[in-house]
Amino acid sequence: MPDIPIGMMAAVRIGAAFGLLWFGEPLLAAKVSLDASHWGNPAGEECVNCHTKSSAGLALEWRESAHAKAGVNCLDCHRAEATDPDALKHEGQVIATIVSPQDCARCHEVEFRDQQGSVHAEAYSLIKERIPAMADNLTGMAVQAAGCDQCHGSRVKVKGDGTLDPDTWPNSGIGRINPDGSKGSCSACHGRHLFSKAQAREPEACARCHSGPDSPDAEIFAASKHGMIFASQRHRMNLDSPEWVAGKDYTAAPTCATCHMGAAGKLPSTHDVGMRNAWALNSPVSQRQYLVLLEDGGKLEIPAGVPIPKRGEEIQKLDGGLAKVKAVVTPERRREVMSLVCLECHGKAFTQGFMKQFDNVVELFNTKFAEPAKAIMADLYQGGYLTPLAFDEPIEFTYWELWHDEGARARHGASMASPNHAWWEGMYLVGRNFYGRFLPQVREAAGAEAQAIIERHLTDEAGHGWLAHPDQVNPILGLGLDKGGGDG
Amino acid sequence: MARFLAAIPISRPIFIALILGGLAGMLFMVFLLEFDRYSSTNEFCTSCHSMTYVEEEYQKSVHYNPVSGVRAECGDCHVSEGVFSATWDHIKGGKDLWKQLFGANYDDPVVNALHLPEAAFATRQWFRETGSATCQRCHVLEAIQGKRADTAAIHREETQGKSCIDCHENLVHRHVPSQETFKRAAWNQMIEEEFGLTPGTAERLLAD
Repeated sequence: MPDIPIGMMAAVRIGAAFGLLWFGEPLLAAKVSLDASHWGNPAGEECVNCHTKSSAGLALEWRESAHAKAGVNCLDCHRAEATDPDALKHEGQVIATIVSPQDCARCHEVEFRDQQGSVHAEAYSLIKERIPAMADNLTGMAVQAAGCDQCHGSRVKVKGDGTLDPDTWPNSGIGRINPDGSKGSCSACHGRHLFSKAQAREPEACARCHSGPDSPDAEIFAASKHGMIFASQRHRMNLDSPEWVAGKDYTAAPTCATCHMGAAGKLPSTHDVGMRNAWALNSPVSQRQYLVLLEDGGKLEIPAGVPIPKRGEEIQKLDGGLAKVKAVVTPERRREVMSLVCLECHGKAFTQGFMKQFDNVVELFNTKFAEPAKAIMADLYQGGYLTPLAFDEPIEFTYWELWHDEGARARHGASMASPNHAWWEGMYLVGRNFYGRFLPQVREAAGAEAQAIIERHLTDEAGHGWLAHPDQVNPILGLGLDKGGGDG
Repeated sequence: MARFLAAIPISRPIFIALILGGLAGMLFMVFLLEFDRYSSTNEFCTSCHSMTYVEEEYQKSVHYNPVSGVRAECGDCHVSEGVFSATWDHIKGGKDLWKQLFGANYDDPVVNALHLPEAAFATRQWFRETGSATCQRCHVLEAIQGKRADTAAIHREETQGKSCIDCHENLVHRHVPSQETFKRAAWNQMIEEEFGLTPGTAERLLAD
């Protein structure tokens, strides 16, 4: 890469690195401050002539883009070095099909640094241990390429003949491991080749992956008051605006990007989409999480409850390497940062009250269902009532869905203010399946020992005491009080 | 005329020699034509076992089974047109025979696959040097219409200074990257995986 971007505004750099810790002037989406001599490769003009004919749709999308208007052509993004693993010669030029985040970083350096190490960039790495149980055993390898990897990203394989292995490509999953070693795919959110700002700001940008039973965030947003207002006031969202600061450039409603990434008041925007999340909501038991920023630009999420490293300490990264801790961001700080977005439109008490309602649901899920269920499962494995193999017993599906599907829906529903998802699509199903499926399956699996196991973990304090009063009457079933039995 | 001929000091034996020489020359030309024709056929080329490997991929290609029914044989693409050029190509191609007899064991599919990239590079170079002349035996620029709307326009407008090979490669035989981006280690690894060989085998075989 001969021309590493230089001349980025120092303020943008420092602001992006420390944006969580202090807030200076409002920092907007980083402007590319490179000199235009870095792009507009003359040889790239020729690509356009032919591709306007050979793949007209693609070329026309590019023609409409901000890239085209700034003079950025095909070769500026697709050029490669002959030594790159996926380099190929095409019409006399050495290019690569895949434009990785590292390639985009030739100009968009700040976004690249934000994104590397984020929960998005790690989306493949985070689940790769689970793939054998899910994709291989439960279904088959074919679904990994067409399913899992399309959201989580694939580990792209360049075959020895220089072609991209179709088991791993095409892929624009957000945690894609690219041939150049970088993680992620900018086009997961920024549809190529138009790379429209407005498109990436739409909630639909996230819906390809954040939808469906385990993470119905698109549905949750749409069902929330925010989503309802967005849909009806879309024309007031100023989606095409070069700067897009909540409370200034638009006020009607937030989209996903607003809260999780967007600039709001003095809060700078970020391409680390998980940075403002105080909780890990997609785990068996939710933990508040610390964000550890490393000297080498890497990041680590550390759940509360385990020892938190100190500034300057050397710690081990996920890939086994060592790095010094630059800063530790507490979950409370992350919550404050997220709340700054809310405060653009809501009062402080309102915001705090909402967050309290959200936290209460997470804690209820944890203490009443997640922790007991996890402990019961551990006992069943310990006692040899279940084989260690995942998904060869019905209770394993029940437990998996309890936290991964219904539990996640409940927690996400509460986090984004969709009452329907917090309750009917979420916690109601958690309760129904905990009492109606999970516990009966525990009894089936552990036989005579089951009652002891269940009693060990289901406490009155956690909210299970009601089971001890089978004669209590309630009209809920619609049978009428007198038929409810023992109308004491 | 008779006087003119009589003026040339030509004896009877010389006359006979000239007739015989002419006949021999004609026979030689016929031989060359027949030799070039026969030695351009699939049958001849694949009479060496080593050539059957490239034949496998060729038989899956459109050039072997075109909808038009016009099959391109080995020589149609790889031997120039015209008796002199064709003969010269065959003389040059004699090095393949030499290598077959005295070089590496190309009959071994692994050795064959390991050496394939260099063969592809040399062949592409030949196509570039000849201006892809053999392609144009069948593919006439003016007649290229294609199935997509703009195929004809691309060939009309985007081909200045280029010949077929500059855009079209890996059409018939196994995919080989361009020489510039070729990575020997990656190719070796792919072949080792394909044939279930332990890592390092390819390098050893190439050194033999």
